[in-house]
Amino acid sequence: MVNATLTPETTRRAAPGAPATGIHGRDRRGRRQAVVAYLFLAPALLFFAVFLVLPLGFAVLLSTSRWAGFDLGDIQPVGLDNFAALFADGSTFLTPVLTNTLLFALGTVALALAGSVLVATCIDNLRFQGLWRTLYFLPIVTTVVAVGNVWKYMYEPGGLVNGVLNALGFGSVAFLQDPDTALPSVVVVQAWASVGSAILVLTAGLKSIPETYYEAAALDGAGPGTVFLRITLPLLRPSLVFVCVTQFLTGLQSFALIIVMTKGGPGDATEVAALEMYRQAFSYGDWGTASAAAFVLFAVVLTVTLAQLWFFRRRGEDV
Amino acid sequence: MTRTPRRRHVALALPSALLAAGCAAPSRGTGRTGDPIVLTLLSHYASGALKEALRGPVDEWNTTHDRVKVATKAVEFTDLLTTVMVRQAAGQGADLLHPYCLWNGQLVRAGVLRPAPAPHAAEIRRGYGAAAVGSASVDGTVYGYPTELQTYALYYNKRLLREAGVGGPPRTWRELEDTAYRTARRDRYGNTLVQGFGLSAFDDSTTVGQTLALLSTAGGRFVSPDGRRTDLDSAAGRAVFDLERRLVARGASDPGVNVYSAFASGQVAMVISAGWWTADLKSLMGRAYRDVGVVPVPLPEAGGERATLATGFMLGVNTAARHPREAWEFLRWLNTDKVRGTTRMSALQVSVGSLTGRADDMRTLLGAGADPNLRPFLDALGYAVPEPNMPGAQQAKSLLRKNIEALWTGRQSVDEALRTTRRQVDQEVARSW
Repeated sequence: MVNATLTPETTRRAAPGAPATGIHGRDRRGRRQAVVAYLFLAPALLFFAVFLVLPLGFAVLLSTSRWAGFDLGDIQPVGLDNFAALFADGSTFLTPVLTNTLLFALGTVALALAGSVLVATCIDNLRFQGLWRTLYFLPIVTTVVAVGNVWKYMYEPGGLVNGVLNALGFGSVAFLQDPDTALPSVVVVQAWASVGSAILVLTAGLKSIPETYYEAAALDGAGPGTVFLRITLPLLRPSLVFVCVTQFLTGLQSFALIIVMTKGGPGDATEVAALEMYRQAFSYGDWGTASAAAFVLFAVVLTVTLAQLWFFRRRGEDV
Repeated sequence: MTRTPRRRHVALALPSALLAAGCAAPSRGTGRTGDPIVLTLLSHYASGALKEALRGPVDEWNTTHDRVKVATKAVEFTDLLTTVMVRQAAGQGADLLHPYCLWNGQLVRAGVLRPAPAPHAAEIRRGYGAAAVGSASVDGTVYGYPTELQTYALYYNKRLLREAGVGGPPRTWRELEDTAYRTARRDRYGNTLVQGFGLSAFDDSTTVGQTLALLSTAGGRFVSPDGRRTDLDSAAGRAVFDLERRLVARGASDPGVNVYSAFASGQVAMVISAGWWTADLKSLMGRAYRDVGVVPVPLPEAGGERATLATGFMLGVNTAARHPREAWEFLRWLNTDKVRGTTRMSALQVSVGSLTGRADDMRTLLGAGADPNLRPFLDALGYAVPEPNMPGAQQAKSLLRKNIEALWTGRQSVDEALRTTRRQVDQEVARSW
């Protein structure tokens, strides 16, 4: 079907007086096939046009415009004013919003990565591995709202975590009410909630490491620590890269957990970019600022992802 | 043109036509003289008692009016502004809107609300209190009929005050502080057992509402009368922030605790909140509700002039409405025509434990046998000041909440909180105009 559309023009040109069933017929059949192909592609193309190309184009337009969200005829171009306002003196976007977003993503990646490596390594040496993987995967299939609310109650002054602290003789901690502990507390929940998928990827990575390496290490008398640092960790690096990049992307775009647990507070201690964009657009009716913030976040995500890929590629990984 | 490109065009046009058909506006009548007209009403009365309460008068209108019918659409309050926005942008805005008055400046600026015609505006100014009219107005122009109006007062737990040896509810800030310190209790781990004075960090409205209620008693205001700059950085603002900071620092308030569930559980001695809460407390507390009392918001000094905050909703007509005259007529019927001595809207609001800005209706409906705790809210209709509703009011409110919370948690001093609020709000409000 595709070949027919690529037939050179010279071979498709019909000889004078040639019968309709000859080259002309093949030409028509080829075009008909091309149309059929486009018709089959149409739903997918339409989907991308409606849900990707159009919103993207609209977001570009809005980021350089002023629009309150009510009347499409009321979009006023303002150039780069929205971007300038984001970084103007007194704006909260750079600090604390963007700073919180990066800290949240970094904290989540660090905790989730360390936790998942530890747990995946343990699971790899246990019986009933399927059961353990399923248990650790459960937070993934639980809604963020449920996870956030349960943890919120656990963190409360009379909650489970403070109950344990009190039982151990420590004073209560205002986890979500103290600006110094609110962000780390939410980071712990996000890491806990995302550790399941990381474990799945890492256990698959561990399975792909040939047993012969471990046998050779055992013959050489290497201890468990040396085996982990010199064999397991280096050979697990492709899986670690994948987990690292995807967790970071998720962390940078986090929204639901924050809005459920803290709504960005106390003050703006847990205010992150996605939440700020949502508020600017849907609460304040400032779609221009929201779109400009979205593009700034996109630039940050792209830069961080490219930096991660460059870093790991420099170390010889095929990612 | 060959047949193939034509077919390609058809292939492209078909999905577009389907999309367009899917997005087409619902039927609202033909608009021809004599033909039926269907007005759509978008509100947040989406469930429970509110939904049932609105259905009554709408059904009555529909059975007694042949030509103009009203169809209600409801979403949860949290989705209301977004729904108005999306439907308006899609050309499917409802004819009648029921917005939170805080958004009025934003809606007027975006050209969504139609000013009330002169006879209706006159009727509204004549029939409602100043706070209700102010809430439904932007820059002096009335945009709709005020519906639910909430005033703020001080709820207190009589049992907790009695146990602390306090004779009665506070009337001044000094008494408020003293009562708060005497009633507050914590365990040896620092967990709050009883808050003397509850400061809610639940959401923008509760956090800011109680602060602005206190501010108004001190003669201060959040923004200037023209709504273009903040007035919070004043002696009154400093006094309120100082009071709240002291209450937190000395352990009488714990903003980390959900005041709304803690008060119902008898773990908060006093809290400033709006009148709608009485109905919730009754159902939550059962017999323990008899311990709840309500008095006006305490004043900085005895003998001062009473003041508090009023927030509200209104029913207005969309600029995109095809039958504005009929829409205003429905609103007049719902909000001003009297049945058994009161308007349908007042009866509706009282039936769900709320108030309207019509003091005469409220006095009739809340006469003998009504919950005495509603009386201070009713009295406050006469002296409450409306919540600022200039363009950018929602953002100003959110910024104020953030700075209040930063003050409570000790991240900002009183001066820093006042200064930061002024700078941030002035900057953002200026962008909204």
